[in-house]
Amino acid sequence: MSEQDGANPVLSLLNLTTTIRSEGHTFDVVRGLSLDIYPNEIVCLVGESGCGKTMAALSVMRLLPEAAEITGGSIRFKGRELVSASERDIRAIRAEEISMIFQDPLTSLDPSFTVGSILKELIKVHRGGDNASATELALATLVEVDFPDAHSRMGAYPHQLSGGMRQRVMIAMALALDPDLLIADEPTTALDVTVQAQILDRLAEEQRQRQMAMLLITHDLAVVASVAHRVAVMYSGEIVEQAPVDQLFADPQHPYTQGLIHALPHVSPRKEPLYSIPGRVPPPQFTPPGCYFAPRCPYAIERCWKDHPPLELDGGRLLRCFNPQAFASL
Amino acid sequence: MTQTSVDEHKSAWEAQLLAFEDSQYLGTVRRLLRGARRNRLVISGTILGLIVLAAAVLGPAILGSDYESQQLRNIHQPPFSIADLPDQTQHFYLFGTDHLGRDVAQRLFVGIRVSLLVALGVTAMSMILGILLGLVGGFTGGWRDRTIRGVTDFVWGFPLILVAVLFAGGLGEGLFPVVLAVGLVNLAAIARVVRGEVLVLKEREFIEAARAGGFSSGRIMFRHVLPNILAPTFVLASYYVAVAIIAEAALSFIGLGAQPPLPSLGVMVAEGRNYLQVNHWESTIPGITVVLMVLSVSLIGDGLRDVFDPRLRHEAKGMES
Amino acid sequence: MRRIVSRTGYMILILVLSSIAVFYAIRLSGGDATAAALPASTTAEQREAFRERLGLTAPIYVQYFEYAGRILSGDLGNSLTNNADIGDMLIRHGKNSLILGAAAFVLVFAIGIPLGIWASVRRNRAADQGIMTFSVVGMAIPNFWLALLAIWLFASTFHLLPSAGCCELRHLILPAVVLAFEGIALTVRMTRSAMLENLGQDWVRTTRAAGLGEIRVIGKHAFRNALIPIISLAGLRIGQIVGYALVVETIFGWPGLGQVLVNAVLRRDYPVAQFFSLVLVALVVIGNWLADLGYVAANPRLRRA
Repeated sequence: MSEQDGANPVLSLLNLTTTIRSEGHTFDVVRGLSLDIYPNEIVCLVGESGCGKTMAALSVMRLLPEAAEITGGSIRFKGRELVSASERDIRAIRAEEISMIFQDPLTSLDPSFTVGSILKELIKVHRGGDNASATELALATLVEVDFPDAHSRMGAYPHQLSGGMRQRVMIAMALALDPDLLIADEPTTALDVTVQAQILDRLAEEQRQRQMAMLLITHDLAVVASVAHRVAVMYSGEIVEQAPVDQLFADPQHPYTQGLIHALPHVSPRKEPLYSIPGRVPPPQFTPPGCYFAPRCPYAIERCWKDHPPLELDGGRLLRCFNPQAFASL
Repeated sequence: MTQTSVDEHKSAWEAQLLAFEDSQYLGTVRRLLRGARRNRLVISGTILGLIVLAAAVLGPAILGSDYESQQLRNIHQPPFSIADLPDQTQHFYLFGTDHLGRDVAQRLFVGIRVSLLVALGVTAMSMILGILLGLVGGFTGGWRDRTIRGVTDFVWGFPLILVAVLFAGGLGEGLFPVVLAVGLVNLAAIARVVRGEVLVLKEREFIEAARAGGFSSGRIMFRHVLPNILAPTFVLASYYVAVAIIAEAALSFIGLGAQPPLPSLGVMVAEGRNYLQVNHWESTIPGITVVLMVLSVSLIGDGLRDVFDPRLRHEAKGMES
Repeated sequence: MRRIVSRTGYMILILVLSSIAVFYAIRLSGGDATAAALPASTTAEQREAFRERLGLTAPIYVQYFEYAGRILSGDLGNSLTNNADIGDMLIRHGKNSLILGAAAFVLVFAIGIPLGIWASVRRNRAADQGIMTFSVVGMAIPNFWLALLAIWLFASTFHLLPSAGCCELRHLILPAVVLAFEGIALTVRMTRSAMLENLGQDWVRTTRAAGLGEIRVIGKHAFRNALIPIISLAGLRIGQIVGYALVVETIFGWPGLGQVLVNAVLRRDYPVAQFFSLVLVALVVIGNWLADLGYVAANPRLRRA
């Protein structure tokens, strides 16, 4: 697909570290995360809950909760450094150049305002203009994202709409100002299965039409398989593998990725129990001394318990492993 | 070889992880107690409360509880003074004397008892009855619930002072109307809150599970629902104790509650109001006492609310994924 | 809309029930109305005749209907102590109470809400700690004592304001502030807590992600949602003011409904006590009704599609 040849990344995370301070404990939830996102591509950030992927996304937008802060690394957006940028600059970037949609549409919209007024407010704050032009743009965007009966439903309150409709409102908010990068944090997890497919299709379509970059965060490999161009697998706050989507599924190299793929339910002539990766994700306050995945890894060697493997480039792919083995697929 | 040492690493690691998680986890009750112990509000409130309580209980034992006898030769003595009595002995006046030569300290301690009796005693009874009503109403529904709800919704929103005045209108002055009013309003408020909580809890799965297990309604009500509603009920009760203390004092002040010579704190303040220039402690000291009592109760209530509060939920929420 | 009608109907029902309750409450002890009105030397027959004249010998429910009929037709009766027309008393004293109550009401929210918002924005910092301490202490101070303190300070010591009386602005200041004090403390806490709860919601993150500034997020969005419990609180505050006014009016000699009621009870002036009890109870019921309505009106989530 699109790629690294010649083009500069839209978003470049380099060694990003985000720390949480709570009740006397201090621990990192994002550890030295490095990731590049190029224009006109969909990158999926995959990982189980608790691995830090949402925190990483919130770090980019500077929307971290009070107890969390960025303590290291850099975030470059179109060449500008975001970590040290002022609050005002970040605010100008939000929705205009980078926008984000969140997981739970039920609680993600202000319940005391109509969806139309929320959209219009966003447009007016960024672009100025009068009520008429804001309404026009809001309406156009809602129609584009398949929001049904946009004209009459604009005056509805969030609680009067279904989950799918609310999510479309959020997408409309995120796209109205035509940003360069859209970050979607588990946009379909809270929705019905049928609606999930519609939303994903709509997102992929928007990306194609607007030729924007998209960072899609998910724990669901099925989602990855259906829309991703490139995939980055995250574990315990860091990237452990990164590859174009076809290659990742055909030849997963990191043992964690292999475990995730193995755990996907599949139709098979043999009856066998569903596989799940043994063990649990380590709590961020208490990580293994070497490779974070070592306790659960079938290929762990002595070195994995002593040293922390670096992320290494190999033929267009990234891998963090001392002892990768071929994937014995079924 | 390397495989066995890897296995050793693994089991060592898992043991450490378990130990770490154990250290993080405390049983619910222990966690709550620890929170309560650590909470500054609860601590300061409790200290204050204990001081006042000690004064009420020990004071009379040490200094005597003679709130009536007047020593007209020793009027308006300042606090910490010593004066002569007619029988040639000396008396130490901890808080001085009032305009009739009565020992302010002794009157104060009796007054504290009155306030505590009305506020704590009555509220305790209202709590028991209120919880009962709320449980019955919320749990059984139907006409019982509707009646209970109708009455409590009406009563709880009434200002306590007005209700007491109404009763005083019918029953005359004295502590009884105040007691009645406090009891009624607190009862209604607690029943209402308990009922609300029960309704919420009823929908939760563990109640369904209990029913499926064949437990009777009564048993479910007491063993499963009751512990869960105790927390907000205590917080609410603490607020109403504070309101009751102030209401009783205010009513006594305007002449409708405790009657002289019974030294309710409100009565003491009222009697001293004409002598503020000469002898301000006669009014000031009981006034400050009321403030301290209410503060103590409020702090404990606030602290308890912090401890039981799903504020912890907020912190957890931000940390996921 | 249907909800408004049902709440109103409920309110009227409560008003009627309250009037019955008050009516009975006044007669709880079977108290002797004659004690207030007649000198001690009257004989038993004279008392009996007096009671019959007042209609106190008929069964209670008959008395109630008779009373209700009279009230509704405008005959409010006369005071037993000075034979003043109760209707006149209502107008004169009602006006005073209205002024005092309204002043206190405005103070409560004009001071309470901004302080509460400020405390929530500066959470856990010096300003917040200070405001919260004031609020906790403020709620603990009984208003009668505060009144005495204020009188002692401003009237006796510094001679800045009068200690009692009516009806100019300078007479109004102290009673209004004292009456509002506890309400301010409570409003500060409720506002702060409502704001904090809203600021912790997911949608605030969405609103910020939309690039809206903090002032908008807090002042428009969070505040609009916090208004829901605050409006409900305002309705309840009416009832609380009515209650506390009983004490405040008495201390400051502000001739309002509260003072009248307290004096009537102390003097066993039944007609006055009864009627003004009804009036005050009605005010509380109406206040609670307004609180109900306000809550529904302010909360879009209660509107149907």
